[in-house]
Parts: sequence; C-alpha cells; structure tokens
Amino acid sequence: MSTVPQQPDYNAMTAEAFRAEVRAFFAQHYPQTLRYILRRARWEEMKDWWRALYEKGWIAPNWPQERGGMALDASKMLIYLEEMERHGVARPPDQGITQVGPILMQYGTEAQQAFYLPRTLSGEIIWCQGYSEPNAGSDLASLQTSAVADGDRYVVNGQKIWTTLAHDSTHIYMLARTDRDAKKQEGISFFLADLKTPGITIRPIRNIAGHEEFCEVFFDNARLPADALVGALNQGWTIAKALLGFERLNIGSPRRPQYALRRLEMIARAKGLLEDPGFADRFIALKLDLEDLGALYGRFVEQVKRGEPLGQDVSMLKIWTMETWQRLTDLLVEAGAEEGVLAGVREFAGVEADILSSFYYARPATIYGGSSEIQRNIVAKYVLKLPS
Amino acid sequence: MKTIEAETPSNDHRAMLRDSVADFAARASDIARVRRLRGDAAEYDRAVWRRMAELGWLGILVPEQYGGLGLALAEAAIVAEGLARGLAPEPFTAAAVLAVEAIAGGDNEAFKQQHLPRVVDGSLLPVLAWQERAGEVGPAGGTTQASLFEGGWRVGGVKRFVSAAAGADAYLVSAATSQGVALFWVDRGAPGVALELEPLADGRHFGTLTLKDVTVPRGHMVASASVAAEALARALDHATVICSAELVGVMSRTLEMSLDYLRTRKQFGKAIGSFQALQHRAVDLYIQRELASAVLEEAIGALDGQPDAARRAMLASRAKARSTEAGLRITREAIQIHGAIGFTDEYDAGLYLKRALVLAAWLGNATWHRRRYGALAARTDA
Repeated sequence: MSTVPQQPDYNAMTAEAFRAEVRAFFAQHYPQTLRYILRRARWEEMKDWWRALYEKGWIAPNWPQERGGMALDASKMLIYLEEMERHGVARPPDQGITQVGPILMQYGTEAQQAFYLPRTLSGEIIWCQGYSEPNAGSDLASLQTSAVADGDRYVVNGQKIWTTLAHDSTHIYMLARTDRDAKKQEGISFFLADLKTPGITIRPIRNIAGHEEFCEVFFDNARLPADALVGALNQGWTIAKALLGFERLNIGSPRRPQYALRRLEMIARAKGLLEDPGFADRFIALKLDLEDLGALYGRFVEQVKRGEPLGQDVSMLKIWTMETWQRLTDLLVEAGAEEGVLAGVREFAGVEADILSSFYYARPATIYGGSSEIQRNIVAKYVLKLPS
Repeated sequence: MKTIEAETPSNDHRAMLRDSVADFAARASDIARVRRLRGDAAEYDRAVWRRMAELGWLGILVPEQYGGLGLALAEAAIVAEGLARGLAPEPFTAAAVLAVEAIAGGDNEAFKQQHLPRVVDGSLLPVLAWQERAGEVGPAGGTTQASLFEGGWRVGGVKRFVSAAAGADAYLVSAATSQGVALFWVDRGAPGVALELEPLADGRHFGTLTLKDVTVPRGHMVASASVAAEALARALDHATVICSAELVGVMSRTLEMSLDYLRTRKQFGKAIGSFQALQHRAVDLYIQRELASAVLEEAIGALDGQPDAARRAMLASRAKARSTEAGLRITREAIQIHGAIGFTDEYDAGLYLKRALVLAAWLGNATWHRRRYGALAARTDA
C-alpha cells in the first residue's frame, strides 16, 4: 500500500489560490467523458480518477492530515465542492470518505481505525450505506433488520433496500436492531460488514432512468465478527445522526439546478422559445428562483465561513434547490415538445442533450437525503416552533 | 428568525437604527392610527413626518453637503422595512427615496443647496410625477411637454399614479424637451396645476396631476436633459429596492401573525398548527420570506458598489419580483390560515394584504420586473 504524500496547509492559502489549484487539478486529471454525467458513476469508470486523487492526497478533503486527508476547513471544503460541481466531476462511491471515516475516527476502536481507514482511502475497500429498509424509509428508526449476539459473533437477518451502488462495493456500513424491547431509536446499533460474508446477497434494482444504481441487500443468518460493532451497543442512532448539517448545505448548493438551467436556456434559445412571452415568463421566473436561491445559499455559506454551526433552517435550502431543479427539468421536457420525449442523447437545434435523463434524475432529489416532506416537518418543528 | 451580521461598527449602528425604527413604530404609529387615516385625503400625519425628520431618516440618502446624513440604501431599507411592519402611511419611499434621489441626481446645484435641506428637515415634501400609463414604469418622459419661453418653462401634460400626491408640497414632473426628457419642480399651488385623487386598496390614494400651461421658472429645472433620464432611472431603481424592503416588512409581520395564530387557535381539540397540511404551508411561506430578504440583502449590498445601469436595473427587478411574489402569497395565505376572522375588516390581516397589493403594483409589478430582468439578462449573457 502506497502512502499519501505530505500535504501543505491548505487552510493557510487564500481562497483564490486554493480554488485555482483545485480547478487546475480537476481540469488536468478528470476524464473528459465523465464530465456532467447525470447518472451515478460506476466504480469501473471511476477507479482511475480515485487513484489520481489518492496519489495526490486529495481523496479525503474532510479527513485530518495525520489520517491522510486534506484537513480542509468549512470554507475551503465549499470551494472544493464548488469546483467539483463547476467542472462536472461525478461523485465517486465516496461514502467511506464522507461517512465511515469520520464515524470511525469518532467512535471506532484503534484496531478498527488501523484496519479500515487506510484501505478506505486507497479504494481497496468501497463502502455502501445500509440504512433504509422496505418498511423503514422516512421513518428510519423503525428498521427491523436484526443483529443477535451468538458467542463472539453477531447473527444478522433482514433486508436493506435503496442501497446505492452495493454491487460495486466491498463493504457495507449499516444499522441493525439489537434490542427489540427498547424505544425504537434506542435499540439500534452500528455495524460494518464485508459483503463477501456468507448469507449476504445483493440484487440490483433498475431505476426509471434505466440504470442499476441502487440495490437490495439480503441478510440470511450472516455471521459478523464481534469487532463489526462500532461504538457501544444500541448507540447506532446517535452515530448515524452525528453527520448531518454540512451535508444539507452541500445538497442545497445551486450548482446542479444551474446546469439544468443552462441546458434549458440553450435549447429554448435554439428553438426560439424565448420569443414566446408565455414561455419567456415561465423561464425567467425559474431563472429567478435559482438566482434567488444563490442569495439564500450565500447566507449559509457566510455562516459556515464564520465557523458557526448550521441550524435546522438549512433544511429549507434542500427543499428549494431540489424543487427548483425539478421545475426546471419539467420545463425542459415541455421545451422539447415531441422531441422532449425521445429517449437518449439527442440534438435539439444544434444542442446535444438527454432531456429525459435530466427529468428522471431530478425525481428522487426530493426523496433521498430526507424527503421534502420530512424537511418541511423539520422546519415547522424546530424553526417555526409549530406545535406537534 | 434569521439575521446574520458580523460584529462591525457599521452593523452596530444598523442594529441601533433597526431598534429605533421599531421603537418609533410602536409609539408613533399604531394600527389604530393607520385605520383612522384610511380613506382620509390627508393620508398621513405631517407631525409624524416631522418626527421622522428629527430622527434624521429623511436625510439618509441626502449627501452631507445638502444637510443629509449621506448614508446608504441599507439604512433606508431598515427604516422602510420597520415602518412597513406597522403599516405607517407616511410616504418614506416616495419622498425620502424616490424624490430625494431624483433631485440629488440632477444637475441644478443651486436648487439642491436651497431645497434639499428643507426636504431633510421635513418642511418641504416633494413627490415624483413621472408615470402616465398603467404598466409603463420606465423613465421615459411620456407625452408631457416642456417648452422654453422668455419667462421660463411652460409644462403641459397629465401624470398618473402619483403616490402620496395629496399631502405633497411640490411635484417633480418629467417632461420632454427638445433636448430630451428633463425634470421640473412644480409647486403644488402653481396656476394650471390640478390634482384628482383615486382611492387605493390600502386607504391611500394615487393622484392624477393635470398640468395646463404651467409656468416653471428656469431655476426650477431640477435635472436637465443631459442627466435627467439617468437620474430618474437611478431614483426609480433605488426606490424599487426600498419598496421591496417595505414588502419584506409587510410579509414578515404577516407571517408572524399567521404563525402566532397557528400556535394558539384550537380545533378538533388541538392547535391547528399541529396539522401537517398547515405546517407545510407555513414552511413554504417562510421559505418565500427568507428568499425575499436574502435577495434584498444581496441587492442592497451590490447597489452600494454603484454598479452600471443594466446591473442596477437587474438587481432592482430581482428584488421587486421576489418580494412581490412572496409578499402577495404570504398576505393572501394569511387570510386562509386565519379562516373567517381573516376576512373581517376588524382583523389586521386584511390591512396587510391591501398594503401588499398596492406595493406590489407600484413601481412595476412582478410581471413587469421579470420581463425587464429577462430582457437585460439576455443582453448581458449574449
């Protein structure tokens, strides 16, 4: 296993200098053919890019330097993410970096850290997230997959679903019920499992865009070693909840809908639709929805830059970003008229676009990461202080 | 709710200003007074106006050499928002922003020296009379004409939708000269000036100003044709932003009323704010309010950097389009959230809706501003 090169102190750099360096690296190393892809990239496509990031020491921008990360503070982290989005860099299967790493650093044993962290960094271990179940979606705490102690093993039975890229992964981090009698949040524990463990079966699910990105994962008497448990028994809910906040800021960034807006504008212009006052008013209203999101997003970014923690009000960003994105792709289909329902990449008056994929991939945006309805519940309760 | 500010001296004085406006609104302008003045031709209270002058607010945008404070739009927005929360009918935006900026943007130095200090101290209240047709908000002169003769200028035409016209001491009238549009100071009582009032939704009035061969002394040309179009455009854009601040004040107070009602009104044995249908509605209104105030803040910050005319107009249009959509939605839905009581004249929700309606239409409605924004965006992107 090669080691990550010693990193400079990026937080001491000016924002401009750091941005320029990130931009140059992405431009030089990220594969042209994978820019701005709408679907989730598969591991086979991404492994060279992962390697390039790893060798540069940039695979884990959020990790501390002594663990092989870049140790970026929040404002530099935003620049890194903004540049990814600007260049159209697809997300690699990075849940080991964003989720498992920070969790192990906080809750894992030294042995767990020593084994998993370097392998996660190098891409030898690729993680998927086993949270949702067929009967535990928005109400995640009602999950039923069980882990029962049997000597020095945990025997796991149950089923996970919507497990993104499980079929590309080597390991799963998951929540399982370890106490059926406790209050539902208090009987859950956090486990790590090798997907080659006998009794674990993966079945991909095809989504409406025609891609197999998420999977079902079945556990049939899968026997996990005792050190599969992270943190204390029945502490899993606390562990899983520890990483919100910054995630919701990132997910509320205006970049993704901006890409859809640019597509829409190019096609509308090429087809002469902006001459039509009816279409033009709808288009401008959406353009302003997005511009105004930028102003709102900017406020939260300033908050992060000042080092203040984000409150529950950040949920409104996700609601507005994702719903605006959907409205943009709805109008994209309408702009295409008959051509808007042609499958695959097509040319629209000189502009290449896959209108249907844009439309499809905006659909789950209001479902994953806490549905729009759940986000509204959060704002109503914690920000508006409405009674329950 | 959310206010994000760094600890800087400038934000300290802004926080103090915000407190003093809130304090003033609570003492000098309660809703009972607002109700009393509804439909009254006087429309607002000159004594209250003078107290605003004493606090320095009428001089916020007036440069110091003319007796003003020489502050920024940010301060004007704080005053406008705070007054609008209490629905004060005093014409802060019409006189202390729109008229003041039109005069200050003019090229008549002697006139500024003589008149601006009196606007600042509240003894002289001018309003702008530039618009002639509904839905035409731009700075063009329209059909009003001004021609030069030995005795000065002779001005003739009809101006409509003049805000706060009834109590004004003078009108700043835009008129076409042979050199282009210019701006003239017309005394209220000048021979040939007639004013008719049309009642508005919120109990105030729009004035229709008819000018028949009105004589204006040469020294009362506030802005000559070489600067008037730009002075007008700038004054209109800045007033549009401050009008957006008024809308943010109106919507913020209305949203608070709705949230209070959701927390306290009980049906089916529980607070109606516990019902998810109403909670989600309230969250959507809150998001609109946050968007409107974020856009306003961004626009004000950018305008203080004196951007070029196209960028200035885009910022103003963005602010007005969002604050109008948000303001109308929040005040309309307040009626629904309150149920039948919200439809009564006795309850304040209706007053807020009516003020929002008038502010929405004044200085260009949302459709007008979206259209202008779209046209400018297409030009700057191209």
